[in-house]
Amino acid sequence: MRFWTRASGIGRGAPALPTSSVGAAVAVAVARPSRTRPWYVDVWVQMLRRKPLGTIGGAIVVAMLAAAVLADLVTPYGFAQTSLPERFIAVNGAHWLGTDQLGRDLLTRLIYGARISLYVGFGAVLLGCVLATTIGVLSAYFGGRFDLWLQRGVDAWMAFPPLLLLMSIMSLLGPSVWNITAVLGVAFGIQNSRIVRGVALSIKEYTYVESARALGSGHVRITMGHILPNVLPTIIVVATTGLSTVILTEASLSFLGLGVPPPYPTWGGMLSLAGLDHMYQAPWLAIWPAVALSLAVFGFNMLGDALRDLLDPRLKGG
Amino acid sequence: MKRYVLRRVALAIPTLFLVSVIVFAMMRLMPGDVATRMVEGHAYAPTLAALRHDLGLDRPAYVQYGEWIGGIVLRGDFGNSYWTRQPILDEFVRRFPVTLELAALTIFVSVVIGIFVGIVSAVRQDTASDYIGRILAILALSVPYFGLAVLVVVLPSIYFKWTPVWTYIPITRDPLENLKIMIVPALVFGVTRAGPIMRIMRSSLLDVLRQEYIRTAWSKGLSERTIVLRHALKNAMIPVISLIGLQTPLYIGGSVIIEAIFRLPGVGLFFFEALTKLDYPVVQSVNLIIAAMVVGLNLLIDLSYAVLDPRIRYR
Repeated sequence: MRFWTRASGIGRGAPALPTSSVGAAVAVAVARPSRTRPWYVDVWVQMLRRKPLGTIGGAIVVAMLAAAVLADLVTPYGFAQTSLPERFIAVNGAHWLGTDQLGRDLLTRLIYGARISLYVGFGAVLLGCVLATTIGVLSAYFGGRFDLWLQRGVDAWMAFPPLLLLMSIMSLLGPSVWNITAVLGVAFGIQNSRIVRGVALSIKEYTYVESARALGSGHVRITMGHILPNVLPTIIVVATTGLSTVILTEASLSFLGLGVPPPYPTWGGMLSLAGLDHMYQAPWLAIWPAVALSLAVFGFNMLGDALRDLLDPRLKGG
Repeated sequence: MKRYVLRRVALAIPTLFLVSVIVFAMMRLMPGDVATRMVEGHAYAPTLAALRHDLGLDRPAYVQYGEWIGGIVLRGDFGNSYWTRQPILDEFVRRFPVTLELAALTIFVSVVIGIFVGIVSAVRQDTASDYIGRILAILALSVPYFGLAVLVVVLPSIYFKWTPVWTYIPITRDPLENLKIMIVPALVFGVTRAGPIMRIMRSSLLDVLRQEYIRTAWSKGLSERTIVLRHALKNAMIPVISLIGLQTPLYIGGSVIIEAIFRLPGVGLFFFEALTKLDYPVVQSVNLIIAAMVVGLNLLIDLSYAVLDPRIRYR
């Protein structure tokens, strides 16, 4: 990552001259109290000091991560382990949050649900960020006709209500973990390429890009070495604020039966439209997944908001 | 102004063309075959080939695309459903009022709540009411609307013996009964959408309240009420209105889920049922109609900005 800190001038404390508005914004917002810590450490220190809600959000996210990673160790049952004599238990010593219509332990399924949510969420956002960066940076860098047509395509994509489009695609592809991750990733990427493009457009105009060109740098060197590093803080912000949306979208698709197929437990799938009839007998089947989902969305929202304020104040709002 | 309008309309045409290509390509390139299901599961035709021929699926894709688009542009014919053979447009028009009413009520609920809480939060910044308002907004942002909808359907029926009305009554037959049915879904959906509106309202009003002309209004001795409601609110509403415009696709997308949970016979339910039956023409045409509406709406919003702010026209 050496090229990154060098080009963006964030990591070395106060740069003599801010190399870009993003670099400057990060330098101002993050590096003010400490000029020795690298910025990626300093962000978290600032978070703990100045952003109580962000810290709570971060704690929830960490708890979710722990649940996802340790699911096999902390759960006494398998996520698909049925036990028909123990159907519809509300709560007891063996099943803390009760059981569902097949006698599966709800807590176990919620914990494994965190794993699926994060798996799909992180996978889709990672894929989406790569795509958004590729489209955004290329569109901004080459400009002209190429940009015009690519952006009309993005316009067309964004004309659809996202949920309708995703539902259509998922119903055709069929529900599977891989399909939903890929589809959400592509949608996320196209949608956010606009933001990346906007930032890349402004970076392109800086004199250091011009001087790089004057020194004979090629397209690859300029985009990868000069534009990309300065777009990165924006991408981090897009990724963290987008995670909650992606997790929520996965849940709504799974809710409709178009996301992650059974028997994998997902929070949206556990709330499911198809299982509505069972919930009249066992309301906890609806309550706990809804609570888990709300907590997760809350956690990612707060963490994302705080990171956005600390990393890139220009994107504030919404 | 005329030139600006013409240019904006001209730019919308390639977008709409690409929209139709995306929809069509998506439906044709993807795996999943409705013909097999129709023949094997429901005996719609003696053989697969016969049904394919019947539905026109045996012709090249560009011919099918041409026919679809040609029908729409020349005759206003959006095709027929594979399963019922009924014209899609008729069904869409029949169901659209339900979705429109749901969307209008939802927007109304979220705007009323969002603006009210937002104003209180901004005017009483950093007081208890502000904190309560902001916490409510965060809660609204975090609770997924379909989760809340399921809880609203399930919990009251268990604990209070109250259930939403399942038989839909059109607004034309009995507006009051109709409102009784629509108000619960609209409240559920609207409350969860009020969060972002409240946050934008608060931050934009705070911005406006710090401006010079507000100070002038204060020094003229006007009451707080007049200053906030007559002077500040108008300017503070601009970002709120553009947010509502931006969120319209979300209202439409969400109505699919809300209509499915509350069994409202709107476009959303039509779309969802068509999806589960792989009824391509319906999915395709409904997607296209709605996307065209969104494009048209964005165009209208842009044009209205141009009317309000002359600087935009000359950009």
